[in-house]
Amino acid sequence: MKHSFIALIEDKCTSCMLCVRECPAWCIHLDSHTVDVTEEGARRPRKVNVLDSFEIDYSLCMYCGVCIDVCPFDALAWDEHRALVTTNREDMLLGIEDLGFSGSS
Amino acid sequence: MAQSFSWQSVEPSDWRSDIQVIIDDGFIYFDFLAGVDRENINGYPGTEVVAHLAKPDLSDSLFIFTQVFNELASITDLIPAANWHERECAEMFGITFNGGAAKPLLRHEDLGRPPLRKSTVLVARVLTPWPGGAEPEIKEDGRKVGNASRRRQRPPGVPENWLTP
Repeated sequence: MKHSFIALIEDKCTSCMLCVRECPAWCIHLDSHTVDVTEEGARRPRKVNVLDSFEIDYSLCMYCGVCIDVCPFDALAWDEHRALVTTNREDMLLGIEDLGFSGSS
Repeated sequence: MAQSFSWQSVEPSDWRSDIQVIIDDGFIYFDFLAGVDRENINGYPGTEVVAHLAKPDLSDSLFIFTQVFNELASITDLIPAANWHERECAEMFGITFNGGAAKPLLRHEDLGRPPLRKSTVLVARVLTPWPGGAEPEIKEDGRKVGNASRRRQRPPGVPENWLTP
């Protein structure tokens, strides 16, 4: 397993913010909102967090893996993407669509 | 590396003389000297200085450590190579090595408190908005949407009053 990339498995993320708060480099940014989900037979609607955006700033990330360890839902994983090569700092900021898990780790 | 490691705690006042004894015992290979900030860990009040010395064939090595508050005797007259380490330790942990070279290693003297002390708040941590302050209904800049009421979270390592402007 290469420790060369941290991937997000979007379906598993519950926007709990644990990775964002534990990150020693403060490189994860997460935005979410709450929606009410009414289930049949339930007394009152259930609040569910919906992930709006998830960004890892790879110009700050030091690949320590704390976010992967701390995630209670295994929504973050080591992946075998290559580390980024760019001359533009903004290209280092990867969102949900760029952080997809290739499943190869 | 060394076959065996052992640790020896000494009184700060005996630091220089005990290292002399260790050198006389044949531990003449000096590896490093470093500071460890143990403030507020298990009630420990100060900083530790650790030096690692080994026998030249690396058959035996010794970590010698002592608890210091602000100053310690320099060992550069016994081990000239310790000079660089003492200068680093001095500017990073704010320890004065009596009798050692006072010249700073990297940092400018006016840069404020020693950065590796736990009690030093890093300025960047205060000036940068903490991404962890966000909640589903509280945005990163503190804006609230919906009926958010939860108390704002505080980043680890930043004292409470630092966040309030």
